[in-house]
Amino acid sequence: MLASGKYLDRTRKHGPIKLVGDVQGVPAPDFTLPSLDGRKVKLSDFRGKAVLLNFWATWCPPCKVEMPWFADLQKQYADDGLVVLGVAMDDTEPATIAKFASDLGVNYQVLLGTDKVSDDYGDVQYLPTTFYIGRDGTIVDKMTGLLDRKEIESAVKKTLGTTYKPASVPVNQADAKVKEAVAGKVAPAKDTNR
Amino acid sequence: MRRARVLPVLLLFLAGVVLAQGFGDKPPVEVAPIGNVQVKAGGSKNVSLDFRIGSEFHINSHTPKSPLLIPTVLKLSGPDQVLVSDLKYPAGQEMSFPFSPDEKLSVYSGDFTIDAVLKTPAGVAAGTYPVSGTLRFQACDHSACYPPRNIPVQFQVTVVK
Repeated sequence: MLASGKYLDRTRKHGPIKLVGDVQGVPAPDFTLPSLDGRKVKLSDFRGKAVLLNFWATWCPPCKVEMPWFADLQKQYADDGLVVLGVAMDDTEPATIAKFASDLGVNYQVLLGTDKVSDDYGDVQYLPTTFYIGRDGTIVDKMTGLLDRKEIESAVKKTLGTTYKPASVPVNQADAKVKEAVAGKVAPAKDTNR
Repeated sequence: MRRARVLPVLLLFLAGVVLAQGFGDKPPVEVAPIGNVQVKAGGSKNVSLDFRIGSEFHINSHTPKSPLLIPTVLKLSGPDQVLVSDLKYPAGQEMSFPFSPDEKLSVYSGDFTIDAVLKTPAGVAAGTYPVSGTLRFQACDHSACYPPRNIPVQFQVTVVK
């Protein structure tokens, strides 16, 4: 455990990393989750992008307030490298989740959450919870509960300001991989989370 | 039918209600202790089950305004000697919250009571029988929501001749 209070629990049942305590600067646990359109989305495919990872549910009224803001931010900052990912923590049918998101103007990818991913991110019990993940894959900030839009945009800008220098993959190849992932052209990955 | 108020001992569990953000293992709703309920064989009795919601929380009523919202539901069952029926939920309070000031939700907050009727068939043997079940609810505070949760509800029914 570091002096700042952040550390990784590597002893849990599911795998090697679980977020505990203060998570700023900690590598975001990777995951592969199905999207509403049936693709498999892997977090680490967005390395080089600033990722806003929002846990929400259809039964969470405060979550509904933020989602149109996230859609606006996705549109506003897409060219700067922002990727918004929504993780629906619902038992509801995907079609219901899709309609709910569509009615709110969601223009970003919505993934179907699992207990394992919730567990990996520190047992996400309080919705909405949003992680801001820097271009290098480490967590810049974590926000729980409904916040002011200005606070959210400030966190987005901070996350966009992070840098990524891949050690072994040339930047142009990494960029191409990210573009493919955003466009949904990445070959389906094996889902190990459900 | 006689009406029995099942131990309105709400003060006993007031201290246990969680007020801080995140309720960990402790739910934001607690059921008041329920004493032994006596019913005559072949008779029936109304029981009132008292619940308390932590002061920072609200839960959806039994009839929330959207099908996406998770209603509060009490499920109780007993042995053949004790039938639980006619669950009666209170009406929800129409409230708006800072996260959506223009929208009214149907919720419970503070204390609420669910009534039920216990019936025993004629000729049932005298004795004590367990009734148990769960209260399912989904809680929110003023800025966030928790996943749906079940808390146990259980009490004893003594059938007398």
